Amino acid sequence: MDEKMPGAISMVRRRCGRSVPYPPRGLTGALTIASKEGSELLMNQRGLLWLLVTCLVLSAFALLLVSDTELGLLDNAQVVYDMVGLVISLGALLTLVVGADAIGGEQDRGSLVPLLLAPLPRSALLLGKLGGQLVAWTAMLIIALPYLWAVGSTGQNLAAGIACLILLGTPIVLMFGCLGLALGAKFLSARSALTVGLVVLILAASPAMLGPGLRQTAIGVAVDWVNPFSAILNAVDAVVIDSEPALTQTTPFAVAFAWLLLALWYARRTVSRLTGSPQ
Amino acid sequence: MAEGTVSAFLGGPQQILVELRSVEAWRSGIKILGDVCLTVGAGEIYGLVGPNGAGKTTTLAVVVGLLAPSAGSARVFGLDPVRQAEAVRAQVGVMPERGGFYDWMTASQYLRFFAGLYGSECPPMEISERLAQVGLSSHRDLPIETFSHGMRQRLGLARALIGNPELLVLDEPTSGLDPRGRREIHELLLTLSHKCRIGVLMSTHILDDAERLCDRIGIIASGVTVAEGAVPELANMGRDLEAPDQARGDRYRLRLGDREVERASQRLPTGVSLLHREVDWCTVAVAAEYSPEVVWRELMFLGWPIREIQRLDTSSVKSGLERLYLELTKDTEQQQAA
Repeated sequence: MDEKMPGAISMVRRRCGRSVPYPPRGLTGALTIASKEGSELLMNQRGLLWLLVTCLVLSAFALLLVSDTELGLLDNAQVVYDMVGLVISLGALLTLVVGADAIGGEQDRGSLVPLLLAPLPRSALLLGKLGGQLVAWTAMLIIALPYLWAVGSTGQNLAAGIACLILLGTPIVLMFGCLGLALGAKFLSARSALTVGLVVLILAASPAMLGPGLRQTAIGVAVDWVNPFSAILNAVDAVVIDSEPALTQTTPFAVAFAWLLLALWYARRTVSRLTGSPQ
Repeated sequence: MAEGTVSAFLGGPQQILVELRSVEAWRSGIKILGDVCLTVGAGEIYGLVGPNGAGKTTTLAVVVGLLAPSAGSARVFGLDPVRQAEAVRAQVGVMPERGGFYDWMTASQYLRFFAGLYGSECPPMEISERLAQVGLSSHRDLPIETFSHGMRQRLGLARALIGNPELLVLDEPTSGLDPRGRREIHELLLTLSHKCRIGVLMSTHILDDAERLCDRIGIIASGVTVAEGAVPELANMGRDLEAPDQARGDRYRLRLGDREVERASQRLPTGVSLLHREVDWCTVAVAAEYSPEVVWRELMFLGWPIREIQRLDTSSVKSGLERLYLELTKDTEQQQAA
């Protein structure tokens, strides 16, 4: 272990004669961080565990849906809708966890400060972390495709379901990822960030459980308009079950995108104030 | 600097890399730094020394732009480390005291990641050289989770050297290293500083390291710079603080009852000098011509509730720098003890 340092003198000469490299632009740094985040998810035990849990949940749900289809309890459109809704919900949960760990977890493990001290703008750090979440979401989409095919291949709603999953699910999933990042940066603790984030997730998802009667009320309509989960699930319902064109779902998409921008703004604000210790 | 600050400065370096003037800083509503002043020049090793909680790490946070000062000025390479953070950090390598790593990575992967962040021109070559510099070449492909504390310290130093910095900011760089590891880090820092003109600002509470490594030292206590200067000058000042002749002789640590040191220390027999007080311990010097046993009997006669006596090894008799440090930081230690 305690080998001599023969390279010190030669390194000294070369260092003295070599120009100092110019620090990378923000985008390059962001890509470097995103690559690290993606590798951590796909090669680390913790990341692989999450993907395994996803497989297990999708397996159980797919089995249930296929059984219901076989028994004639649900039609093909409904099972595709249910599966898409589940994948979006799981995706939101996954990116929330990944986001909370991206800043809060790094702080807990002591690896945040070296990252903050790199010559990168904070926006590049945020972009890189979001890139990692995109990798997580992409991995989940790839895992979900076989399950979607298993439940929806017998009908004609599969393509619409997959399109909804990608186009409508991505803003929601990234929104919760941004929320996780922002909370991690604010609390500098993965546990605190995750606790608050889960409360927000549950509150956001609960209106989707409203019954048809309640949804017809003024409050139910208002919630449907502003709640991102409700907006997206209504859009998926319209496209997959009611076979409406996806391009007509501009309002739900705008709602989801607005929430994404809000979460992104909050994440940018909290990450830009990071110092590596509570202020 | 604060009133009464001891200062000795033997000329200045040609290029000033870091300059803090009367810096004040707060964290979580608490004033951590009150009046910190320091300068670090190119090719110089500057040691920031102080007791726990003095504000060393906070001072380094100001230097690297993680914390904005609420008063005073901070300049690194002539730039504002907060407003021009990227430009400053491109030239600064930092090794925090608590440097976490990505345990799932290998050492070379870890350095490659940071080489990417610092825009290294040729990552593979630089990584090999950095690992060789810190003595980790044979561990380049091992996962970091298998590394010992000392190896992690070395890896942290290698990371700080990525990007060929002009200034190294090191927070307790030899913490947790064995004597050989400390010596090797010392040699590396001396090489980088004196041959490559890299400035080094390091915080340490090991005075031995500071005396051996540093060209200049700043002593900080309770967020205030209380002394700054070249090591020989500060050491001479410390020797000048030596107690009168009676303080020469063997030194002993005495444990009294809780909170009894203050009362007992007002009654001192001939031949005994009180050097240092803590909560329930005190350090005394017994003049050579007096027998310790006689002295203990006399102390107990005067009401000293002595419970334990430790004789201090004469080799640990304080150097001038240590004496100065203890004198200048004793108020802080007493506040902490209270």
